[in-house]
Amino acid sequence: MSNYNKREEATGWLFVIPYLAFTLIFFVVPFVWGVMLIFYKWNLISPVREFVGFGNLLEALQDRRVWAAAVVPFKIMSMFLPTVLVLSIGIAVLINSFKRMQGLLAVAFFLPYLASGVATALVVKGIVSYTSPVNSAISKVIGYVPDWLGNSFLAVLVISLMIAWRFSGYYALIFLSALQSIPNELYEAAQIDGAGRITSFLRITLPQLYPALYSVMILAVGMMFGIFTEPYMLTGGGPNLATHTWYLEIYYQAFSTMRAGYASSIALYNALAVFAFIGVVRKIMQSWGRALGWED
Amino acid sequence: MPKKVSNQKPKLTWVRFLRLLDKYGITALRYLLMTIGIFAASFPYLYMILQSLSPWREVNRRIVPSALTLRSYEWLLGGSSTTLARPWLRGFGNSLLVTGLSTTLMLLVAMLAGYALSRLRFRGRNVIYQVILFQMFYPAIILLVPTFLIVRHLGLYNSYAGMIIPKAVNLWAIFMYVSFFKSISPAMLEAARIDGASELQVLLRIAIPLSRAITAVIGLFLFMERWVELIWDLIVVQEYSMMTLNVMIATMSGPYASYPGPLYAASVILTVPIIIVFLIFSRYFTEGFKFVLK
Repeated sequence: MSNYNKREEATGWLFVIPYLAFTLIFFVVPFVWGVMLIFYKWNLISPVREFVGFGNLLEALQDRRVWAAAVVPFKIMSMFLPTVLVLSIGIAVLINSFKRMQGLLAVAFFLPYLASGVATALVVKGIVSYTSPVNSAISKVIGYVPDWLGNSFLAVLVISLMIAWRFSGYYALIFLSALQSIPNELYEAAQIDGAGRITSFLRITLPQLYPALYSVMILAVGMMFGIFTEPYMLTGGGPNLATHTWYLEIYYQAFSTMRAGYASSIALYNALAVFAFIGVVRKIMQSWGRALGWED
Repeated sequence: MPKKVSNQKPKLTWVRFLRLLDKYGITALRYLLMTIGIFAASFPYLYMILQSLSPWREVNRRIVPSALTLRSYEWLLGGSSTTLARPWLRGFGNSLLVTGLSTTLMLLVAMLAGYALSRLRFRGRNVIYQVILFQMFYPAIILLVPTFLIVRHLGLYNSYAGMIIPKAVNLWAIFMYVSFFKSISPAMLEAARIDGASELQVLLRIAIPLSRAITAVIGLFLFMERWVELIWDLIVVQEYSMMTLNVMIATMSGPYASYPGPLYAASVILTVPIIIVFLIFSRYFTEGFKFVLK
């Protein structure tokens, strides 16, 4: 082992010690403990832990709340994904069409990503509150005030739009840097062939955005399974579990009903759901990418 | 001949009109969309500020208040005799303390580990790197309950350390520094080593100064994420005197939220530091962000 310099090796280990110590205490130990908890019934306090085998995992499969949590990401996704993709690609194209101040404009659209979900939720709560100016304008037209957070469909819509507002500027940055890497010759060639603006957007821009779209899709889809702040602040998971996300259920089971083992089992299902669905999205995106001629 | 010209005249203006529309209409549309977009992106911020300055009877009833008042801020900072009074100012201090220390630790650990994993050769390096990648993909939610148990076991429940230490390492930051330090030219580091600098000196005097832009962006992301952390801080601290401002607002705004004005004022106070930090570092933004997005 003479190709390792002794001093360099010692320094190397010294530099990673903080990370290693942290990983031991806050990754390895909870990793093992988390797996163990799944098989126990325990209320976080009592000295007695009862071994239940697969009891927790089986119980979760019959739990209405868990099934609601499993469905919610897809409900939110159905409204969030189209909105956020149109908005973020639109913003990117718009910013890219300006010759100057692109950095400043990008920063302006990035602002929503900086907001605390708690603060944004307060604003949304105010805007949808019964006496709000928005609602009084709406009631003049349709004759009544919609119960934004009390109606299953509208509550999901409000949360989806909130998340879309937060992420569209961020995703737009990813699309923007992809747009700027499209070689200009492609557009020139298309122009010579007589393609108009719309044709070249559909035939050149969109296919060239594929790699950016791929990463945005993975980011966005993964995020759908970890929503907490918005429903916690606005709906508490209601009405009738319509916005009851995975994280709300895990939080509720672990820290309200104090069922540590049960909460860990649900967390395991959550992880499996994310992995499975991201796998599906990957497959779809990859086959689409191959159709567009991207090799990966 | 002159007749022909006059015949063409309306045709010409029509074409010219289309050209002008093509030239300026699209431009006008672009500016219009941009204005709408920026307004929509900043609307919740504007709303928050306006409501926090609004007389209490108008909060959430008018978007632009009829008069401006600081009553919400006075109520918030002066404390009041109601049962809903909370140490808001202290909450702000708590947020600064927790976020500041946590972000600093995350950056330090990530710089050290990132440098070692990219620039120093030692046995086990590749294994450690693989472990980091595994950890990044391992769903953090499974660790939530056991991490809480460990923190309680270590006696850190309901303490500042309980909020800071479990958030002292960020895997994404390590990953970013590994790829950044890999991208800098080894010749510069080698030159310093030949001059007799220790690895720590090489890191401090060469590698870290070179990483300014990406440190700014990584730091910004870490700061921001830590500043708005909800679920962990909610679980680990029960006492008002130690709660972060974010948690304080979140726990106040439940069904008992009968003081929307002060809550908006608190949200403004919560939002200001993020914006300030963001503006300070925004000059590094374009350069650093390109790297982070890769």
